[in-house]
This record gives sequence, structure tokens and C-alpha cells, in this order.
Amino acid sequence: MNIALKIGASALALSFAAGMATAQDDSFWKEAGAQFEGVTLRGVTEATPPSNYIKDVLAPQFEELTGIRVDIETTSWDQMYDKAIKDMEAGTGIYDMVYIEQDIVYAYLARDFLTDITGTLTEKPELKAPAFEESLLTSFAEFFRDDDGHLYGMPVEAFIKPYLYRTDLFSDPEIMAAFKEQTGRDLVPAKTHEEYTEIADFFTQWGKDHDMDLWGTTAQAHTGHAASWYEYFESVAPTFGVYNWGIDPENNYAATVENGGRMNSPEAKEALKWWLHLRDIAPPESVQSTWTEVATTFAAGRAAQGLVYGENAAWIASDENQSRVVGNVGVALPPLSDGVLEAAESGEGYLGYYDGGAFGVPVTSKNKDAALLFLQYIAQDELQADWALAGSRITNNATYDDPKVQALNEELGGYFDMLRDQGDLFGGAPAYPFHAQVREATAPIFYSILTGDIGPDEGLDQMAAKAEEELTSLGYRQ
Amino acid sequence: MHSKTLGWALLAPTLILLFFFGVVPFIYVLFVSFHQWNPFAVNPDMIFNWAENYRRVVFDAQFLASLGVTVAFVFFAVVSELIIGYALAQAFMRDFPGKAFFRTIHTLPLIMAPIIVGSIWKLMTTPSIGILPNILDDWFGFNLNIGQSALQAFTVTVIMDIWHWTPLVTLSLIAALVSLPPDPFEQAQIDGANKRQIFWHITLPMIRPAIIATVFIRLMDALRTVDEVLMLTGGGPGSATRYLGVHIFKEVFPRTNYGYGSAISVVVLYLTIVACWLLYVSLIAPRNTKKG
Repeated sequence: MNIALKIGASALALSFAAGMATAQDDSFWKEAGAQFEGVTLRGVTEATPPSNYIKDVLAPQFEELTGIRVDIETTSWDQMYDKAIKDMEAGTGIYDMVYIEQDIVYAYLARDFLTDITGTLTEKPELKAPAFEESLLTSFAEFFRDDDGHLYGMPVEAFIKPYLYRTDLFSDPEIMAAFKEQTGRDLVPAKTHEEYTEIADFFTQWGKDHDMDLWGTTAQAHTGHAASWYEYFESVAPTFGVYNWGIDPENNYAATVENGGRMNSPEAKEALKWWLHLRDIAPPESVQSTWTEVATTFAAGRAAQGLVYGENAAWIASDENQSRVVGNVGVALPPLSDGVLEAAESGEGYLGYYDGGAFGVPVTSKNKDAALLFLQYIAQDELQADWALAGSRITNNATYDDPKVQALNEELGGYFDMLRDQGDLFGGAPAYPFHAQVREATAPIFYSILTGDIGPDEGLDQMAAKAEEELTSLGYRQ
Repeated sequence: MHSKTLGWALLAPTLILLFFFGVVPFIYVLFVSFHQWNPFAVNPDMIFNWAENYRRVVFDAQFLASLGVTVAFVFFAVVSELIIGYALAQAFMRDFPGKAFFRTIHTLPLIMAPIIVGSIWKLMTTPSIGILPNILDDWFGFNLNIGQSALQAFTVTVIMDIWHWTPLVTLSLIAALVSLPPDPFEQAQIDGANKRQIFWHITLPMIRPAIIATVFIRLMDALRTVDEVLMLTGGGPGSATRYLGVHIFKEVFPRTNYGYGSAISVVVLYLTIVACWLLYVSLIAPRNTKKG
């Protein structure tokens, strides 16, 4: 048999095997779906690119295959939590699936809101899809496990918040020369906060001098929305070595320096002042910007660099209908203080934000089994690549190697490589069950810092005290 | 007897709905307000704590600040809506080219959901891309940035409320003006009264019931404003537009402080009733007393 014939025969055999596998998978979904005839699953999630893909693509596919209708309600971040928590708290059973952001899962687990996916699939093997294994998932799934290693949420999106910069500006000879002349160093992505500030100041001035709508940095600095609080505590403060919001769970949840916390530590204050300066030289819309507007600002070509949520990276770098910087996006690690990278590598710290979410099944759901089928369906390897293209998210290990994803990775300046290779250096929200409570208790003071009504030093002192007061009131701090 | 029974029978569906959707929730909120209850606390159960939540409300600087800005918001919004609404009602009483068109356009904001109104105004006021900052900057060199300036944010929320709700006032007052008998006006003109005298001594007293009813409605609505403001400013900058409705929303939903949030809700309801009662006493009761 010659080589060509061997290759042909192998290809035919592979195609046949793949076809058989697909047919077998299809038959599983059809048979499994048949017992849920007439069932409609209802889910609530935040309107993000990955969630929209579930609603627009995966849900209809699943319905076609199984006959189970899936209604996904996409809404704002606040509304999503409002609806999901009220439903689970009241036990109304309206939702069969809820979006669980990584930062709220500990609160949900503490309240026994969620169905044990691992346990249920072990108890009911007839529900287990042949193509689904928990080992397919990336390490991000670990955030959604309990102490026994049981999975409570099927990851649907995972991203880091990297440092994006404009490659066209950073490689423009005229700009490079001007920067070198002004600062004495080459224009390359910043590694330290001082370098970042220098670049930001330079580009803001460059925009002014050349009458361009260009500023040196983005800033997620809304003066009335939690997005600004998050940018500071979860993206900026860690790069100065202040982790877990400056609260020490090992030390009676102390937040003030006086009691052993770091929320108002010198490093925290330095971080806040650094970020406030960036806010001042960012585009004017920054004071009204949440994570969405920051992405839009960068995509509109109004900022030379910025910390941008990775869930937006794909469309910023590749969608010409929405972005003016297609093909001109570079990605790097955020600027860091001395020792932070080493701390992250040793597991003692982290250098930025790793976020994402999963779909969980409330224990109050009336269609738990059908919902578990859907969660396994969307976790299949073969569905992941197109989903990654639509939402720049990866939750399965195999997705990184897909040719389509590799191609997008090039356009994204290596974002997916960073997610895979250095994702572990980033950290999600701390494992606090009182996440929203402490945030909302301290946020009004933070907003007052942003408006200048309170100075950053005094403001952080007040916030740390307020955090301890809230934690005492909730019973976590004795 | 028969008609009385029939009357109750016809009223029954409304009363039943009102009981289940109005009275029962209120009693529940009242019940919760006497408890410490945060489902994400170490102890997530409801713990009876007497009137502690109410004591806390009285000394809560954030609540008092919210109350202050809410009173200012309600005052400026409702008074402006009344004045502009009356002027528009008078304008629509006259004939002019395109009157039907303008009347339709003018009422369009009324049919919009508050959250849409908030979104529209957010788009219009976002620095750099919004039409208002651009126009104000180009024409007057004025820098509009409601994310930065507390006064600007407050003013824009008031203007947004006026834009949204003035048509309601206009329509109410048009209905009142149309129903006025012509005789008193003709007699006043014959007696030589000028326009200002006719307005103060005839028009205003005759449409006063309609004005009072409209002010009651707007007062209650403005006191519970949430969606528009939450969408536009999120209550910021700082706490500049953290009106009572926004404050309660943030306390009850993200912070899940159900007990304390319920207490604030009850206090706000009480204050609303008191405000309406004061309005009634000062504007309607004296008139009835004189008649008596």
C-alpha cells in the first residue's frame, strides 16, 4: 500500500470514527432529552459576549437536539444578581440555571444555594453525557468546587485582565523618537508603575499637542458604580502587593493596619494615588466608565494602553464593525511593584485579576436533571472554539490547541497564550462569603475619594474601619 | 340592599388584589423591619431586634444625606414640572400650526420605561460621545461631566425627570382647563380684570383640585425614583444623586441588608404620607374650612 493510499484510508477511517462518535453523541442527547419533553429551562446571566453566545447559539442547538427549550435571560450585572439571589432565597424556583461569578460562588456555597453537579451525575449515571468529563475543564473550574472537590458550577467564561496597548502607536517611529527624547528610554510596554505613568503622561500630552482624541490610559473610574471599586481593589492594589482587598481572613478578618489588615496600608495608599493620577489623565468619560465603557474606549482608539477585561479582547482585536484598533492590540502583564511577580509565582500573591463565571443549578430548580444535561452539553470540547472566538473565553484545556483559536491568539497578541501559561499568576476575587456586603458598605466612601470630597489617605482609613464594622455586624469578625 | 351587595361584589376583585399585592407585602416589610436579617451573615436567620433598625435610621448619616438630596430633587423637579406643565397646557389650549404633531411628540416621553429614559440620558451626557457635552462645549465652552460634578449630576437628574414627567402634568392640566366653564372668564373680562388677575383669582382656584392631585402623584413618584437615576449616575458622583430609592435599592439588593432596608422603606413611606398630608392641610383643608 503506498503512502497516499495509507493516508487516504486513515482519513476515511478517522472520518468514519468521528461520524460514528457524533452519531453516538447525538443519539445520547436525543434519548436523554426525550424524557424531558415539554420542559423549558430558564437561565439568568449577565449580558456579556460569552453569555450572549449561549443564548443565541448554544441554547437553540441544544433545543434542536433534545427538544428541551432553553430561555436565557441576559441582563445587567446588578439585575442578574438581584434576580438570582431573590429567586434562590425565596425558593421560588423560577430559574433552572444562574450565572455564578467567581467572586460570589463562596457566598452561594455557604448558603447551600447550588446543586452538586459531581454528586448528582454520580448518583444518576443515566444523565452523564459520554462526551463530558470534568477533566476536560481548565483549572478555573477549581474555583467552583467545594472542600470535597465536587463541582457546583460549569465554567462558561474565564478571562484575565491584562495590560492592553496599541502596537501601532508603540511602533510608530515618530512617537518612539519623541518618547525616547523626552524620557531617555525606549517605548515598550511598562513593567513598573513608574514606567506606566510615564507612558500615560506622554500619550495624553501627545494627544493634546496633536489635537487627537487620544489619552495615555484607560481608567474604570465610575463615581457611582462598583466597577471603580473593583478596578482598584482587584486590579490595581494587587500589583502593589495588597491582596484580598487588604483584609486578612487569618487574622480575624482585620482590615485596618492597626489590627493587622492592609486596606489602609502605605502600599494601598500609594496604589490609590497612582491610580487616581491615571484617572486624571484618562479620557473624560472615565469617571462614568464601568468595565464595558473601558473596553469601548480602548476599541475606539482613545487610549494608548489600559487594563481591560479579557472578555472583550477578542472583539477589540478582531471585529472591525466594533473596533478601530483591529490588528493593533498588544498584550502584556500589568505593571508591578518589586517582589509582586515573585510572590505570584510562589503562590503567595497574585498580580492582577482573573475572573469569569459558571452556570450553576439552584437547588430550588424544578428541572435540575434537564439543566444538568444542558450544562454538560455546553461543556463539550467540540463547541468551545467558536465560543472562544465569540467571547475570548476558554474553559476547556483542548480549546487552546484549536487552529481557529490559535489564529485569533495571533491577532490578540498572544492573549490566549498568556491565559494558559500565566493565568495562574492572576487571582480571582477572595473567597469571601460577604463579598457584596463589604463592597457596598465601603463603596460610598470610595466614591467620595473619587470626587475629591475625601483625601485618599483619610478615605482608605475610613474604608478599612467601615469594612471591620460591617464584618463585625455580619458576625465574621469577633 | 341589593345595590350595596352588588357594589361590594364589583369592588371585591380590586380589593382582593389590593390586599394581596399591597397590604400583605406592606405587613411583611413591616415585620422584616423589626429584624436583623442579612442572608450572607454568619447567622443568616431573621433575628428580632425590636426597633433597633429604626433607631439606626435616625442616626444614619448616609440616610440623612440621601433624604436631603431627595427633598431638593423632589422640590425642584415637581415645582418645575408644574410651572412648565401649566405653560404648555395653556399653549396647547390655543390653536397653532402643527399643534397635533407637537402634542403627540410632547407626550412621547411618558410612554418610555424609566430605565430607557436613563439610558438615553446616559448616552446624551457621556463626555466626548454625548450630544449634550459636545454642544455645550462647542457653543458655550461649558464642560459638562456628570461623573465629576455633583451639581451637574443633580441638575441633569432633575432635568431628566422634568423631561420625562412634565407631559403628565400638561395632560392633567389640559383636562382641567378644558372643563372650565366660560362664564366666570367672560364676566371677569367685562369687569375689566387683566390676565394676571384672571389667572390668580379665577383660573388657579378653579383648577386647584387638578393641580393638587397632579402634585400628589408627582410627589409620590419623585420620592421613589430609582431606575432612571441608577442608570444615569448610579447615585454618584459620590452620593450626590443617591436619592432615597437608590439608597434603599443599594442597601437591600447588593448589600442584602433586608431588615435595615425594610426599616428605611417604612420610614420613607411614613415621610411620603406626612408630606402629602401637609400638602393637603395647607392647600385644601383651609378652603374646606372656609366653606364650612
